[in-house]
Amino acid sequence: MLLFGLDLDYVAVVMLFCVGLYMLVAKSNLLKKLLGLNVMETAVFAFIVTAGMVEGGDPPIMVAGTSAPFASPIPHAMVLTGIVVAVSVTAVALALIVQIHAHFGTIEIDELKELP
Amino acid sequence: MRPWPLLLVLLVALPLVAGVATLPPHDAPDAPIHTQVGARYLERGVAETGMKNLVTAVLLNYRGFDTFIEVVVIFTALAAVLALPKGSAPVPKGSAPVPKGSAPVPKGSAPVPKGGPQAPEPAAGSAARAARAREEERPEVASDVPVSPVVRFVVRLLAPFIAMFAVAMLFRGHITPGGGFQAAAVFAAVFIALGLALGQARAARLVPVDWRPWLQGVAPLAFALVAWIGWRLTGAFLGYPSDDHTAQEAMGFVLEVAIAVGGGVILARVFLEMET
Amino acid sequence: MTGPWAEALPWVIALPLVGAALTPAVAVRRPRAAGFWAWGVLLVTAVLAAGLVSELLARGPFSYELGGWPAAYGIELRFDHFSAWVLPLALLFVVIVPFSWRYLDHVMPDERRPPFYALLLLNAGGMIGFCVTGDLFNLFVFTEVVSLSSYALVAVGGRGLAAFAALKYLFIGAVSSLLMLFATAQLFVLTGSLNMAEVSLRLAEVGGGTAVMVAFAAYAVSFMVKAAMFPVHVWLPDAHAIAPSPVSAVLSGMVVKVGIVGMLRVYQIYYGAEVLELGAFNLALVWLGAVSIVMGAFFAIFQDDIKLMLAYSTISNIGYIVLGLGLASPYAVIGASVHVFNHALIKATLFLAAGSIIHQTGFRTLSDLRGVARAMPQTSAAMAIGAVSIVGLPPTAGFVCKWYIALGAFEANQAPFGFALVFGALFIFIYYIRMLNAFYFQKPVHAAVAQASETPWSMRGPVVLLASLCLILGVLGGIPLTFVEPAVLDLLPLWGP
Repeated sequence: MLLFGLDLDYVAVVMLFCVGLYMLVAKSNLLKKLLGLNVMETAVFAFIVTAGMVEGGDPPIMVAGTSAPFASPIPHAMVLTGIVVAVSVTAVALALIVQIHAHFGTIEIDELKELP
Repeated sequence: MRPWPLLLVLLVALPLVAGVATLPPHDAPDAPIHTQVGARYLERGVAETGMKNLVTAVLLNYRGFDTFIEVVVIFTALAAVLALPKGSAPVPKGSAPVPKGSAPVPKGSAPVPKGGPQAPEPAAGSAARAARAREEERPEVASDVPVSPVVRFVVRLLAPFIAMFAVAMLFRGHITPGGGFQAAAVFAAVFIALGLALGQARAARLVPVDWRPWLQGVAPLAFALVAWIGWRLTGAFLGYPSDDHTAQEAMGFVLEVAIAVGGGVILARVFLEMET
Repeated sequence: MTGPWAEALPWVIALPLVGAALTPAVAVRRPRAAGFWAWGVLLVTAVLAAGLVSELLARGPFSYELGGWPAAYGIELRFDHFSAWVLPLALLFVVIVPFSWRYLDHVMPDERRPPFYALLLLNAGGMIGFCVTGDLFNLFVFTEVVSLSSYALVAVGGRGLAAFAALKYLFIGAVSSLLMLFATAQLFVLTGSLNMAEVSLRLAEVGGGTAVMVAFAAYAVSFMVKAAMFPVHVWLPDAHAIAPSPVSAVLSGMVVKVGIVGMLRVYQIYYGAEVLELGAFNLALVWLGAVSIVMGAFFAIFQDDIKLMLAYSTISNIGYIVLGLGLASPYAVIGASVHVFNHALIKATLFLAAGSIIHQTGFRTLSDLRGVARAMPQTSAAMAIGAVSIVGLPPTAGFVCKWYIALGAFEANQAPFGFALVFGALFIFIYYIRMLNAFYFQKPVHAAVAQASETPWSMRGPVVLLASLCLILGVLGGIPLTFVEPAVLDLLPLWGP
């Protein structure tokens, strides 16, 4: 959909990206920061999948019942890879947050900064 | 509310909007994304790879190397979680947080008695035995809140069906959306649900200790194996013999199963490690 | 026409990665065997890398089409003169790993060694893949292997503070990776391809435009974060200082160079396409590089912790490299490309020597370590050689690069930056003088420092070897310079001033 020459779907993606970025930089809770990062990741994946779609497209699976035009298969493969990468980053971040909590007893940046 | 995060977000948003505003419209069938590489995949993908699901064809065949590195990334996550220090008791709620001064200095700087005896070399097999011993010491239910019998019953009842769904996703992946990674996620979910409802020890028993080191790395290993077979057969790393559909299917099948098993084991293990 | 070694190109990536996947299984009965296993795998990797470089010298840059698909349809690996960085990279790993065998004794219990060495192998394999891939999305996936293993390696040595430093690194690193993915997606939408050479060709057809520029800017910011340039360096000092010393050597010497190599790759795409006027960007690089040099040196002066000091000095040295790239004159770019390697060598020497001292004495600040040179003469001598090299005094490895970069500044008619570089070196000299003064000319304040003994040979060997290489490369500095010359001259006709 176009509005003033702007592709609204793409603009929505950028807005989602910015929501995530705001969570990442403004929140004090480490878990919320991590959620923000995940929102940003989702935004980029949405951008890639949106770009790969075509008007009235079917999923690129060549069986009876699907017909041209097909969505491009490459963005799907990219996003699948991207999701696995995002899951891995999230897992490592969670493990680190667990460590921080076990050691300092808090995961609030504000409180962590006040520790002597 | 501090103003600088909003300023930063605006600073990032403006160039990004400017960037996406000048892209070709995404729904048009004549956009480069549909006319270049993608067009060939749609046209010849089935004939060249023998896979009806072209996403799978891209994942395992055309860009199989990406997927190889992808399973390496998830293995990295497991290695990362395993390599982190373990076993520090959480600070009880309400008590003062540990002051930094008394916190153990990073190990890198811990004084080491010079000339003192080094830790004795562990006897062969002791690590595996220690792992098994730890397993047995694990309490049946790790959390403080007892699991309700309803949850326990429902999880036990549904677990086989969910696992069956994962298997179906794995084997129908070539003609429907689905495949190895999705199956891995569902496998891991069954495992984690069982771990929460029945206690970790019983869930952990599902995967024998001796197999674990191999199962964790099975996806990268399977990729390396298939890459090597492809190299011998076609002369190209991760090459699929284009005229032999049986070989293509067999290679793809090995990869999908390895991804499902390896990915599932890794995700479940990451969860178990974090809980203890 | 390619020779037999070209076949080894995918295996030089796969070998360390598969070695990593096998590490837990290999070391299941004897966790300490993981270290020997990792060393063996890296040794074979280095041999393969040497074969690839010999192929490059014999026949010039070559490609490998994975899966047998023609370049744009599958993934292409490309081995050019910048990829040759994989050989020194693998060799440095081969030297650093033996150091870690004994060093890890006080860092972690034996049972955590297998995942640690798996991470180290993954890190090496990821960087090798990053240097040789010719595909933009593949570049992103390799970045993630390198980054993820680096985050974890920072945190393996301690709880609390180490985890916090690693998490800060993770958040900033993940955002930069996302920017990279975003830029890749944008180029993909614009050109319909992910292959670097193909993208470059198609970009020339598509022409410039805001989207092309934004993609470039996103790549630039992303790689600046990875390289820890001045305004976005905040993650580096804590992470590199708190990691175990062998890991610091890997991170500071090699992982930050991922940003530099990535920047070179993006340059290759954009200069090939000739769609953007990059003069203004180069000027920005020059300024940021100069500021990085000064700020890195400035912060380093105030550090008492030797590893923190070395970490800030990395920011300074990345500044030199970026300054050289931005000057865009042949001398400067050659000097900068070689400094990518020489800085890795020098920083590995310094971090391993510092790690030895910390390992033997248990102290890590300059004020505690006074007079350590008497107790540990060889390690301290290695530290001194490293310090002289990094300042850039002849006859050491650091001299030739910085000399070339300074010459390049005059060549590009940017004489003020040439002088800035020389003054920067003097600035850096101050804090190393402080360190050498404390080590050699002050009386020990701790009995542990006075009575410390030299490290075991598995640790001292690598340190002495690296220090001697710093000296040898000072004398034979011309060899790497002539090696990268063809690649740089290839790039430079397009590399407008």
